[in-house]
Amino acid sequence: VDLDDASPAQARAKLERMCEQLLANPLIESYEIVVRESGA
Amino acid sequence: VTSPRPRIGVIQFPGSNDDRDALWALAALEADAIAVWHAETDLPDLDAVVLPGGFSYGDYLRCGAIARFSPAMAAVASFAEAGGLVLGICNGFQILCEAGLLPGVLRPNESLTFVCRDVRLRVERTDTPFTARCAENQQLVIPVKHGEGCWFADPDLYDELEARDQIILRYDEAVNGSVHEVAGVVNEDGNVMGLMPHPEHAVDPLLGSADGALILASLVDAARERSAATV
Repeated sequence: VDLDDASPAQARAKLERMCEQLLANPLIESYEIVVRESGA
Repeated sequence: VTSPRPRIGVIQFPGSNDDRDALWALAALEADAIAVWHAETDLPDLDAVVLPGGFSYGDYLRCGAIARFSPAMAAVASFAEAGGLVLGICNGFQILCEAGLLPGVLRPNESLTFVCRDVRLRVERTDTPFTARCAENQQLVIPVKHGEGCWFADPDLYDELEARDQIILRYDEAVNGSVHEVAGVVNEDGNVMGLMPHPEHAVDPLLGSADGALILASLVDAARERSAATV
């Protein structure tokens, strides 16, 4: 997932929401978030 | 005063294919059945809501995972929150689970194949708005048709649901690998129910069984009572 306008902390918070609400169903799926800053 | 026909909405998602069957069955059971498009942000004045079977938004990621974000579902969640009666059938059940309005999740069938046949069910509770016309422990024959109907809850969640009597229907035979053969559940408040079998396909003996009418007529009764109470 590419995020343009987020600090690493904001990105992590956004991604956690995405995972909890849509990308994974925590009842049956787990997820791991690794934030990587682009060099721009 | 004549007995009013309760107003029951059937939400139509892109991909729903049992919506018209549900509308037809509810009308045959003396309800005013009203189609509601998924893009609507407000529900019309309704006494109950049915989420029909079929598919929705391509069912990407998991069945119902996209549909739960539809505008109509925000309205359905508010309706349920206020105590409104909501019944989800098949894909409707999947959507309600993904929306967090019902416990558990529907996974691919254990066999990994589509199952389409009449199945025997056991009624676990009759003191709900969805099963009041059934007898305790009554066996019902209602068809299923799904590829992803294997209801799952982890042991802790299952024990909680069992303790709160939230399991309403169980398969009386192996069907799809559901945990403890669960076929239908209600929420904690008892106003939202989901089931994988299709009661709307079993409301006339000509169709092989009229047992589905017991479920839908229970809903119509309960909706009528609420309609009368608000007049």
